[in-house]
Amino acid sequence: MKLVGKYVDKNGAGYVNLRPEDDEDMWHLYNIIQQGDIVRAPAIRRVQNVSATGSTESHRVKLNLTIQVSRVEFSSSGAPSSSADQASSPAGSSSAAPTTTAALHISGPVASENRHVKMGAFHTLDIESNRDVRIEKVDGWDSVALARVEESCVPGRGAEVGAVVCGEGTAAFCLLSQHMTLVTHRISVSIPRKASAPGTSQYEKAMARFYATLYDAFVRHIPYTSPSLRAIVLASPGWVREGVFNAMMTEAGRRGDKTLSKALREKTVKVHVSSAHVHSLVEVLKSPEIVAQLKETKFAREGIVLDKFFKMLGVDEMRAWYGPDHVRLAADRGAIGTLLISDELFRASDPKLRKTYVELVEGVQQKGAEVVMFSSMHESGQQLNQLTGIAAILTFPLDVEVVEAEEREAREERRQQETKMLDGGGAG
Amino acid sequence: MGRLLYELGRIDEKTRVANERGSSKAGKSSFSWAWELDGTVEERERGITMDIALQSLSTPQRQVTILDAPGHKDFIPNMISGAAQADCALLVVDAITGEFEAGFDRGGQTREHLLLVRSLGVSQVIVAVNKLDQVNWDPSRFEEICGLLRAFLVQSGFPSSKTSFVPVSAMLGVNLVNCTGADALVLSKWYKGPTLVDLLDKLEPPTREIASPLRLPISNVFKGQSSGTGVTGRICGGVVQVGERLRVLPGDESAIVRLIDVEEQSVPWAAAGTNATLYLTSIDPNHLNIGSVLCPPSDIVPLATVFTARIIVFDIQLPITTGASIELFHHSRDVPATISKLIATLDRASGVVTKKNPRVLTKGISAEVEISLRAGTPSSPALSARPIPLEPFSVNKDMGRILVRRGGETISAGKPISLIAVKVLNTLPGIVLDVIS
Repeated sequence: MKLVGKYVDKNGAGYVNLRPEDDEDMWHLYNIIQQGDIVRAPAIRRVQNVSATGSTESHRVKLNLTIQVSRVEFSSSGAPSSSADQASSPAGSSSAAPTTTAALHISGPVASENRHVKMGAFHTLDIESNRDVRIEKVDGWDSVALARVEESCVPGRGAEVGAVVCGEGTAAFCLLSQHMTLVTHRISVSIPRKASAPGTSQYEKAMARFYATLYDAFVRHIPYTSPSLRAIVLASPGWVREGVFNAMMTEAGRRGDKTLSKALREKTVKVHVSSAHVHSLVEVLKSPEIVAQLKETKFAREGIVLDKFFKMLGVDEMRAWYGPDHVRLAADRGAIGTLLISDELFRASDPKLRKTYVELVEGVQQKGAEVVMFSSMHESGQQLNQLTGIAAILTFPLDVEVVEAEEREAREERRQQETKMLDGGGAG
Repeated sequence: MGRLLYELGRIDEKTRVANERGSSKAGKSSFSWAWELDGTVEERERGITMDIALQSLSTPQRQVTILDAPGHKDFIPNMISGAAQADCALLVVDAITGEFEAGFDRGGQTREHLLLVRSLGVSQVIVAVNKLDQVNWDPSRFEEICGLLRAFLVQSGFPSSKTSFVPVSAMLGVNLVNCTGADALVLSKWYKGPTLVDLLDKLEPPTREIASPLRLPISNVFKGQSSGTGVTGRICGGVVQVGERLRVLPGDESAIVRLIDVEEQSVPWAAAGTNATLYLTSIDPNHLNIGSVLCPPSDIVPLATVFTARIIVFDIQLPITTGASIELFHHSRDVPATISKLIATLDRASGVVTKKNPRVLTKGISAEVEISLRAGTPSSPALSARPIPLEPFSVNKDMGRILVRRGGETISAGKPISLIAVKVLNTLPGIVLDVIS
């Protein structure tokens, strides 16, 4: 994303002018824009003019609209997902690929005067890439938001790792970037099992067809030519990935696709996972081959920290806490060593709640602890969200019951003191 | 297994010789018997079973259908699909010093398999201690293995009256059908018990629920020789006849049964408990998937996305927290899910609630939890997950068993108690009522 202009005063009021470029920037904007902000962006509005004779004429006008945000919606695929999930499970052959452009929709009443649109009329802005967006907040520019803006303007990203998670007959193509995991395409083919009486050749034929479909989908969806792609991960239980790799190499050789063969040979990493579902991407990020290559990338870091948290939960329950109340108690006592927090919490529509989380993060950072922000678009972020979205690894064990009891006592004492003062004041 | 089939006359000489020649050419002559059931190129190359194989054999008083299941860790999903169709278990363990220990210790598969099989409703187990000829038919080794396994079986919930042990050597063919011949001399000196076939003969088939509505979870789909698609599975309840119209769930499709094959013979009807192959017509094969369930249009299986279940947690390292992401296994289908709520922990024996809203579930605990199915993608707008056909345990025992796995190991097993978010379908296709409570 490009930072075109910025003006923020020390109270946290001001504006920022950004130009989003790719899908990840949409995700960043989704996290920056909150309810109540004022956003200005180009839009196309259908304007109706009623002339004196009563005939209406409408034409589309391109203009810059400023709206006060009441709702922000993000979808990772531009095409609307079909609501007919009552329909049968994925068809035998691969389905048509949805567009991978992420879409961000911001709706709210119009806040500035202009020639064509009345004030207060509702409008939904569709944020487009390479068009400037201006975001103004009254007091929302806290450290977390500003850090996010900074992060998004760092150049040189793009999809870092392309992954294919496959099983016998199923494959999911994913692009992992710094902040997002996009599942671009899925294939699901029914493979007859070897138990079919007519002979085992049905199985092999179906597998050959599966490999062919996989090859076509791979060529279409994984950007193996782009230089920012650091690795191609083939993950599967069993040995499906070996078959996939061999099939792709032979096919690439047969079709004479030299760039693909080179890319496959150099960048492919074969990883063993326990299941063919997308959530086994977490295991991919933990595997030693990947860790060695992609140590410093954000999602590898996320995966490692989450793994550490779960291990701590198994080893010493009193040093691993989760849930906002518990983590706040731990933070008050200065016990937090690592704070795991998901960006889902910062998107909370209640600004007061968001402020408390920001204070929590700042407090923890001041005490010298580490804060890891998890992106909900990664599998590790999803797992953290399932766990309430906030968790902490403590530096020394604290028993929950004991801490809660102490808090309760302290509150009781305070209340008694207050009533005493009131009585004393009233009497005196 | 191959040897047993040969002894009982199920394999003809030509196949046996072909297997022997092929395997010695590939340098795997010791696998010649395994090649009878491991048919695919990859299985023979790697020397392991990857998917279940169905074979039937007859003993004097029983007709037995054998499902040879893979043992390897990665292929447990296939093993679960097979075990869900089973009535009894035949566990073959290796008597060679070190081999048995490797399989039986924590990292090995013996324990996991027994727990899985128990959770899927199997209570009769025959343990065949194989390769005893390699340890010179040592009776103390046999007793040692039996002792260890007996303790574990009782602990896992297998009634000891229904477990039996038998020493065999498959390579030499000793004690499979009979205990005679030169090779068997050493064994027959101290072992006077039944042979493997005798024990197979004594297995009791469980009661079949013929009166309940038809349920057939599909474990395999393939293209039949003539037109139509073939589906295989074990009938979990009810009776199916040729010409009947069946609904396929999940989905709106229905199909007509053209042929029913049981053990390679065409029959006009099949009842609960049989492994049958049905050839269906008037349905697009794309709608038939492994894991779908066939049922009569009048009595359809409810589809659920959220349900409560009573589970027992196995011996695991990492405790289960709220929101743990798991894989839910039901017959041949596995879907990603989460344990969305820990409702209460229960006493293992009585089922009385011991603690409400626990924070974590550690090993050995019995608990009531709420399980929600997950959509496949980590995207923020919640794509609703596809529901699966599921019935509470009280309604149908076979349809009401689920397994929970995470990170490559089975962490718990359970029974659905009540379905919360359910889609109830009208029998007329095209009209759908959503009931989400």
